[in-house]
Amino acid sequence: MPESLAVNIVMIEDDEGHARLIEKNIRRAGISNAIRHFTDGTTAIDFLWNDPHGPAHNGPALVLLDLNLPDMSGIDILAKIKGDAHLRRTPVVVLTTTDDKVEIQRCYDLGCNVYITKPVNYENFAEAIRQLGLFLSVIQVPDAEGDA
Amino acid sequence: MPTTPVYAFSRDAGNNRLILLLLGIGFAALIAAVVAVVVVQRQAERDAYWVEHTLDVEASLNRFVRHAERVETARRGMIIAPREQSFYQIADSAISQAEREMAQLNRLVADNPVQIRSVTGLSKAFEAYANRARTTAAEAKLGIVKVASLDADTATQSIRFIRSFSDRMLEREDRLLRIRNLDQDRTRNLLSAMLGLCGALIIGVSIAVILIIRRNIGEIDTKRRELHLLNQELESLVDARTSELQRANAEIQRFAYIVSHDLRSPLVNVMGFTAELDAARKAIADHLAKSEEALPENVRMAVDEDLPESIGFIRSSTQKMDRLINAILRLSREGRRTLSASQLDLAGLVQAIIDSLQHRIDETGTTIEIGQLPALESDRLALEQILSNLIENALKYLQPGRPGVIRIDGNVAHGRAHIHVRDNGRGIEQRDHERIFDLFRRSGTQDQPGEGIGLAHVRALAYRLGGLIEVSSEKGVGSTFTLSLPLKFQAGVADA
Repeated sequence: MPESLAVNIVMIEDDEGHARLIEKNIRRAGISNAIRHFTDGTTAIDFLWNDPHGPAHNGPALVLLDLNLPDMSGIDILAKIKGDAHLRRTPVVVLTTTDDKVEIQRCYDLGCNVYITKPVNYENFAEAIRQLGLFLSVIQVPDAEGDA
Repeated sequence: MPTTPVYAFSRDAGNNRLILLLLGIGFAALIAAVVAVVVVQRQAERDAYWVEHTLDVEASLNRFVRHAERVETARRGMIIAPREQSFYQIADSAISQAEREMAQLNRLVADNPVQIRSVTGLSKAFEAYANRARTTAAEAKLGIVKVASLDADTATQSIRFIRSFSDRMLEREDRLLRIRNLDQDRTRNLLSAMLGLCGALIIGVSIAVILIIRRNIGEIDTKRRELHLLNQELESLVDARTSELQRANAEIQRFAYIVSHDLRSPLVNVMGFTAELDAARKAIADHLAKSEEALPENVRMAVDEDLPESIGFIRSSTQKMDRLINAILRLSREGRRTLSASQLDLAGLVQAIIDSLQHRIDETGTTIEIGQLPALESDRLALEQILSNLIENALKYLQPGRPGVIRIDGNVAHGRAHIHVRDNGRGIEQRDHERIFDLFRRSGTQDQPGEGIGLAHVRALAYRLGGLIEVSSEKGVGSTFTLSLPLKFQAGVADA
């Protein structure tokens, strides 16, 4: 098993259905990394920074982030991660329904690594997630504690 | 709106007539004054002439009397000193002078029959006296003068008669003079009175007219202030309405944006899980196909027909919903685009749209006419979208079996540019004239692809440009879409 297996996937997505579809397709792409799913921003932030198993204290992670969350905007979480000394190298994949150019630009400006629009066309969506899975299998995620 | 007739001096006909009447009186008074002055002046001249004439008569009479007296003096001298030659000469010259004066007097009194008689009488008396004087002279030369008493002397009596007669004549002339002087005074007084009257009339009329006009000017001023106030109120009302509209528009745009995003989310699930369902069905179908046991007919039907049919409907409905949501999203995104005004060459813009549609134009054999188009300053992209939607629609909904004619022209009226897109297409029923501008609403036979978005988009854009879009159409005859826009677009609050 390659080193990347250790990477935890943190999925912040308020829609259970989307979360399930994303997970299914990640698994179909052959990625077996642990996936932690959060449906709101507050508990997700708590996990990222404070949980002993979270990326701030324990190992590298990859964040899948939805922008429309019930309690806050995903943009805020993105800004917080990219502004943090420990977590700023953590790759963030924004995965959302918003295809507004201004929004996309803002995410990249804040340091988002990949921006994926959820299309209604499921085949495209599944394909995108599978690509992401391939991407996950090859990327090297920095050890969050290694450079602290 | 009823129009109020405008009069020269006043807002209402009564006042106007009154002023005209007063002005008429003023002018009449002026003319009367001039006529009166002329008439009275001539009267005065006549009076003066007669006064002078009387004075002339008096002077002449006096001169005559003086000459007559000198004759008498000379005659008496002859009687006293018959040898003194100068008396004879004096008498002769005085007589001839008196006669000349008499002739003069005759001429002067030719106008007065009474005086003619008097002068004639005087003339006769003097003639008699002159004869007596000559006789005296002749007798004196011969030294045969006998004077018993002056009182008994006929010559003396004659001269006395002349004296008293001429005195009476003088008195008469004096009376005449007094009367004529009085006449002259009366005429002068009359002139002054008339001038005074006319002056008073003119002044009175002028004051009245000035007062009325001043009152009217006051009224006009008040009305103008009222109008100004009303105008301002109207402007602020329009501003308030406009900002309300713009707020409402912005609200709708935000609403559309949020709704379309939030609707997308569940749609992703519906599509995703439908695909999952289909995949699961395929797995079951594959498995069943491989198994050898005989399937009940209803199970086979469910797996092979019912499930694919249901899944197919879910898919096509979801796809349609996605298209609608995307349309709303596009609309709201368009609504949030910042508009910027630039000077537009409408003819070029329309030509570019037509060029892009050339294929369809050739296909349908449609004739396109571009008429006069106004110059205006507006957002290029918005106008391009509006016009291309309208022209595309005209091209899309032609009357079958009739070659299409589409005419694009415009004009400027009341400070706005009006652009017309006319066609001879299938037309729109009266009841749909408003509906077609609503989102997802379409009119007539649904034989053309479309979501019912174009005209809603057109109207939203027209509103944002500060304009209006209207349709007039008759079913089976054709439609005219009229876009009216401000000549110069000004970015409002909603576009900030």
